[in-house]
Amino acid sequence: MAKVLDVRGLRVDFRIDERYYPAVHDIHFHIDEGETLGLVGESGCGKSVTSLAIMRLLGPGTKVSGEVRYGGKNLLAIPDAEMRRIRGNDISMIFQEPMTSLNPVQRIGTQIGESLFLHRGLTGRAAREQAIQLLQEVGIPRAEEVVDDYPHQLSGGMRQRVMIAIAMACNPKLLIADEPTTALDVTIQAQILDLMRRLSRDHGTSILLITHDLGVVAEMCQRVAVMYAGQIVEQGPVREIFKHPQHPYTIGLLNSIPRMDGPRTRLTPIEGNVPSLRNMPRGCRFAPRCPHAMDVCRAQDPEPVMVEPGHDVRCWLHAPVKEAR
Amino acid sequence: MAEPLLRVKDLKKYFPIRRGVLQRTVGYVRAVDGVSFEVERGETLGVVGESGCGKSTMARSILRLIEPTAGEVWFEGENLLRLSGSSLRHMRRQMQIVFQDPYASLNPRYSIGYTLEEPMIVHRLHTPAERKRRVRWLLERVGLDPDYAKRYPHEFSGGQRQRIGIARALVLQPKLILLDEPVAALDVSVQSQVLNLLEDLQDEFDLTYIFVAHDLSVVRHISDRILVLYLGRMAELADAEVLFVDPLHPYTRALLSAVPVPDPDAKRERIILRGDVPSPANPPHGCPFHTRCPVAMDVCRSEVPAWREVKPRHYVACHLY
Ligand SMILES: Nc1ncnc2c1ncn2[C@@H]1O[C@H](COP(=O)(O)OP(=O)(O)OP(=O)(O)O)[C@@H](O)[C@H]1O
Ligand SMILES: Nc1ncnc2c1ncn2[C@@H]1O[C@H](COP(=O)(O)OP(=O)(O)O)[C@@H](O)[C@H]1O
Ligand code: SF4
Ligand code: SF4
Ligand SMILES: [Mg+2]
Ligand SMILES: [Mg+2]
Repeated sequence: MAKVLDVRGLRVDFRIDERYYPAVHDIHFHIDEGETLGLVGESGCGKSVTSLAIMRLLGPGTKVSGEVRYGGKNLLAIPDAEMRRIRGNDISMIFQEPMTSLNPVQRIGTQIGESLFLHRGLTGRAAREQAIQLLQEVGIPRAEEVVDDYPHQLSGGMRQRVMIAIAMACNPKLLIADEPTTALDVTIQAQILDLMRRLSRDHGTSILLITHDLGVVAEMCQRVAVMYAGQIVEQGPVREIFKHPQHPYTIGLLNSIPRMDGPRTRLTPIEGNVPSLRNMPRGCRFAPRCPHAMDVCRAQDPEPVMVEPGHDVRCWLHAPVKEAR
Repeated sequence: MAEPLLRVKDLKKYFPIRRGVLQRTVGYVRAVDGVSFEVERGETLGVVGESGCGKSTMARSILRLIEPTAGEVWFEGENLLRLSGSSLRHMRRQMQIVFQDPYASLNPRYSIGYTLEEPMIVHRLHTPAERKRRVRWLLERVGLDPDYAKRYPHEFSGGQRQRIGIARALVLQPKLILLDEPVAALDVSVQSQVLNLLEDLQDEFDLTYIFVAHDLSVVRHISDRILVLYLGRMAELADAEVLFVDPLHPYTRALLSAVPVPDPDAKRERIILRGDVPSPANPPHGCPFHTRCPVAMDVCRSEVPAWREVKPRHYVACHLY
């Protein structure tokens, strides 16, 4: 299948007190056409930084290297003007807190209209009608009235729908959704996830879905990449990862969440905490919390290894024997 | 049966909505609108519902951190809402609260040791040496190094701060702890550490918990019974095992069906609710859920459903039953 996006060796360093620290460290992944890829991990593991790096939205004081291949080009190497065209036209993004990305003093219709003008040249009545149609498509009731509302007049779920309407206004090839439902109640989350699934099916849009919720991944994604401390430690088909997780961190995550199904047994936590950027352990970054850590783990960072076609794991337990010993 | 530890009767909290230069009251937000339940000694009562349905307001009203508009809160044979001065202070020692945000709930200028010692100083308990010893002992109970007493909140991670918040709730040897979204701000790997800790402490100190959360799998895990709130009113109350297997109220059913399950093979029969929770300033007539209920009938729009025990220990407010 054709790849929409291919990220190769992406690395992001932040400058803190005169020194650079890697927040995203040598990650590889791709997204196929029409596919939804989940990017999961706990707070601070680099999910948002990864998406901002792809969109080239990181500020000064950051070093980004590696390749982000889209449509035969490396997005990290094209001129700013071209990147601006791709952003919004080909790739759009929605964030966790829609209020921060909506303009509080502009009517909803004006904000959607702006995107429609920029990307499709629509103005006036045509833009307004299209805006109403988009609002209807994302399931907003009374769209003819809401089009004249301001963001603060809407609930969190409705604002997120508006963000999706704006993101879809240009019919993007790829939608990057960074925790789009984390701030919402489960009942509203179900509405939004349902909407995203429908849009992806009807328009063939690929989605990079960033979340910390493994339930959302199981429900929405075909493949998943698990991040820990700036690295992708395991990736593969969703079913494979949930049924046969190989990396001790993935296994730990799956064991530590309380379940809605099955018996209520004592939880098995992962001991310790996620390390901060400045205190990254040497060798495997998960070693201080890993129940299987060996000497080699503390000395040397493992490389990703393929355990099944399309299923990679970054762990010495899965490295070819001669290297591990 | 023995007297329950806590009995809440028809608790209400209305926040006035004020407008204009004269700040006239033009209406009320009915954040909690007639909630009644009992909590047995040693049990964990989970409280769930969407944001804004009144969970935090209810917890704070029980402790009188905010003054309830009406109702009764009986604790150990006394109505808390009738107490004042030293008898109220004495009662409050028995009931503590842990908040969601471990960052905001600790004073950044106090050392951990002082944070934990302060309630004992306020209540004039123990000698200074005993207090220090108790602080170290408490830190150990919640899984922290006793030497952390000298450190300050900013030096700790979210999970560690929440442990400190729990230790502070334990200082005065309470009988009841209200936990308002205690793990919502934590990473899942740390969340499970804190949930295990809460279970251990409950056994060790015979604690009774009211556990408020919006995460249903967490509530299922920790609770003996679960109360479902909607728009400040009670929708359903049942044993945790029963509620998840046999939910009766259409709102509970929708809520449970909306939770994404971390199993790609799980079969889902999702009930997608239309629209949002209405504003508690202007709640619907009749059943508060009728605007979103997939099985609403005519009677639901005009008559408030009664709160009834439709099966043993299983209560619901819905015209279907
Ligand atoms: N502008 C910045 N300067 C310095 N460090 C940063 C900056 N932005 C992010 N970081 C750090 O980079 C790491 C990854 O952050 P990122 O926001 O990508 O995490 P995340 O996985 O999206 O977490 P969350 O689930 O909390 O959204 C964190 O340690 C964070 O503190
Ligand atoms: N101090 C206050 N003044 C006015 N309204 C309030 C106040 N505190 C809470 N509310 C309102 O009361 C309702 C219930 O709030 P809350 O108890 O915080 O809900 P929950 O904890 O279930 O999310 C909401 O509509 C909220 O906006
Ligand atoms: S490399 Fe070693 S420490 Fe890291 S996850 Fe694998 S076994 Fe654990
Ligand atoms: S009373 Fe009527 S509207 Fe309310 S939950 Fe029951 S069926 Fe639905
Ligand atoms: Mg993020
Ligand atoms: Mg709350």
